[in-house]
Amino acid sequence: MSLSNEPIIVANDLTISYELHRERKKLTALQDINLEVKAGEFVVLVGPSGCGKTSFINAISGLVPKETGSVTVRGEEVTGPGPDRAMVFQDYALLPWRTVESNVRMPFEFQDLGVSEAEKKKRVQECLELVDLNGFEKSFPYELSGGMKQRVGIARALITHPDILLADEPFAAIDAMTREAMQAEMERIVMETGQTCVFITHSIDEAILLGDRVVVISYRPGKVKEIVDINFPRPRMSNSEVKTSREYAEIRDHIWKLVKDEASQTNRGE
Amino acid sequence: MANKGQQNAQVFDTDDPDRIQDIGWTAREVWRRSRGFVVTSINIMTFFILWEIVTIYGNINPLFLPKASDMFMELWVGLTTRAPEGAVFSGSILDHFLHSFSNLMFGLGIAILIGVPGGLLMGGNKYIEAILSPYVWALASLPRIALVPLFILFLGFTTTMQVTIIVISAVFPIMINAWAGVKTTEKSLLAAARVFGANRRQLYVKVVLPYTLPFIISGIQQGIGRGLIGVVIAELFGGSNGLGYLIQRSADTFNTAMNFAVLLLLIVMSLSLINFTRWLEAYVAPWRSANHL
Repeated sequence: MSLSNEPIIVANDLTISYELHRERKKLTALQDINLEVKAGEFVVLVGPSGCGKTSFINAISGLVPKETGSVTVRGEEVTGPGPDRAMVFQDYALLPWRTVESNVRMPFEFQDLGVSEAEKKKRVQECLELVDLNGFEKSFPYELSGGMKQRVGIARALITHPDILLADEPFAAIDAMTREAMQAEMERIVMETGQTCVFITHSIDEAILLGDRVVVISYRPGKVKEIVDINFPRPRMSNSEVKTSREYAEIRDHIWKLVKDEASQTNRGE
Repeated sequence: MANKGQQNAQVFDTDDPDRIQDIGWTAREVWRRSRGFVVTSINIMTFFILWEIVTIYGNINPLFLPKASDMFMELWVGLTTRAPEGAVFSGSILDHFLHSFSNLMFGLGIAILIGVPGGLLMGGNKYIEAILSPYVWALASLPRIALVPLFILFLGFTTTMQVTIIVISAVFPIMINAWAGVKTTEKSLLAAARVFGANRRQLYVKVVLPYTLPFIISGIQQGIGRGLIGVVIAELFGGSNGLGYLIQRSADTFNTAMNFAVLLLLIVMSLSLINFTRWLEAYVAPWRSANHL
C-alpha cells in the first residue's frame, strides 16, 4: 500500500442542495465541504442520518449535481459518472434477472473501455476469486445470502479496475456475524489492490477498523466537523490487540461523542 | 475478541458448495407435494356427485338446476360435434368456443400491441404521460359495457365489433401495468447502471424493460379477465356467434344443462389462461416468487 501525497479526490467548498418541491423550499444537504483524499487512502465518513454523507459520495460518483464549489478527480471536474469511479450500494443494486457473472460483467457492457473479450473473462474470474465467489457464476442474486450478494456488488465495482471505490453503507443490511467477515474481506481486498476508497458507515467500529481517516460530518447542513487519523497497523480485523487496545477505546469514545452531539440535534425536531 | 469474531463469522459463512447434498425423494415428500392436487380433485368430484344426488332425489325442476351428468353430457356432445356444412345456426359448443377463443386471442394480441408500447412510452416520457393519462384514466374507469351500444352503432353486429370490445376491455390494465412498471423501477438499480456507464438508451433497454416485464405479464393476466368479460358482453348484446350468444340462446330455449355447460367451459378457460400467465411470470421473473417464499 503506497500512500503518495498526491490527492486524487479534491472537494473544494462543495455545496449540494435539493429542492423540496411541495414546499418550495431548498434543503442544503452539504455546505462548504473541503476534503482531500490521497491515492490509496481509505476515508470513512460518519455522521447522523440525513447529514449528507450519501450526497457527498454521489457528488464524487457524478450521480448528483453540485450547487457551488467543485469536486475534482485527478484534477478533472466531475460532471457525470465515469469508469475511474465505481460504487458499492447498501441494497446491493444487483440486476435480479442476471446471473452473478452477468452482473459482474455489467460495467463492461455499458461502456467500451477497450478491454478484450479474453481480458474481460479473466477479470470476471479474478474478481469473483477476490471476493471468494468462484463456483457461483451461474447463480442468480435471489439464490444468494445478503453477504454473498454484496460480494457480487464488490466484484462488479472492482472489475474495471477503478481508481476510486465508493461505498455507501455497504454492510448495513448484513447480519452482524457476516458483517465482520465482510469487513475483514474489505480490508484484505483494499490491502491487495491498493484501492482508494471512500466509505460511508453508521458503525463507529467499522469506521475505525477500516479507515485511514474518519471524517465526522455534522447534521444539517452537513459540514466537516472533524477529521480523525487512525494509525493502527493493518491488517486490523484479524489482530485482536487492536480492538482491545486503550487507544482504540479512546478514539471510539471520541468519535462517538462527536457523532452523538450531532445525532442529538436530529431529535430536536426540525 | 476480534479473533473469536472471525472464527464465528467463518462458521456462519454459507457459501460452501459442498454443503449442498442430494437428499433424494421419500414417499412422504411426494405426498406433501401432490396432496394439494389430490385434495382439490376429491373436493371437486364430491361437489359434482352431491349435485347429482341432490338433483336425482331432491325433486328439483331441471329447468332451474339440471343434473350434473346432463351438464357434462351437453358439454361432451357440444365439444365433439360440429355444425353441418352450410347450417344457419350451430348448436355445437365447439364452434362457438372456437369463435370466442380466437376473438379473445386476437383482441388480446391487439391490446398487447397497443398497451405495452403505450404504457412504456407513458412511463418513459413525462410529456406523453401528461397528454395521454387523462384519456387513459377516463376510459379505464368507464365501465366498458357502457360502450357496447356505441360500438354496435359504429360497427354493426360483426366480429370486428366483438374484437373491438375485447381490445378496449383488455388494453387498459396492460397499459397501466406497463406504465407503473417503468415508474416504479428501483432507483438503486438505475443509479447502479448509471454509475457503471449506462446511457439513456441502455437504462431503458437493460434495466427498465426487464424490470417492467413481470408487470406487463400481470397486466396481461388482468387483461385476460377483462377481455373475457368483453367477449361475453359483446356476444350477449350483438351477434349470432360465440359462447355469450350460446348462453343467451340456451336460456331462451330452456336448455339449462347447455347453459351450465357453457358456464363451466368459461370457468375452465379463464382459469387455464390465468394459470398460464402465472406460470409465465414465474418463468420469466423467478426472483419475484422467490422473494415471498
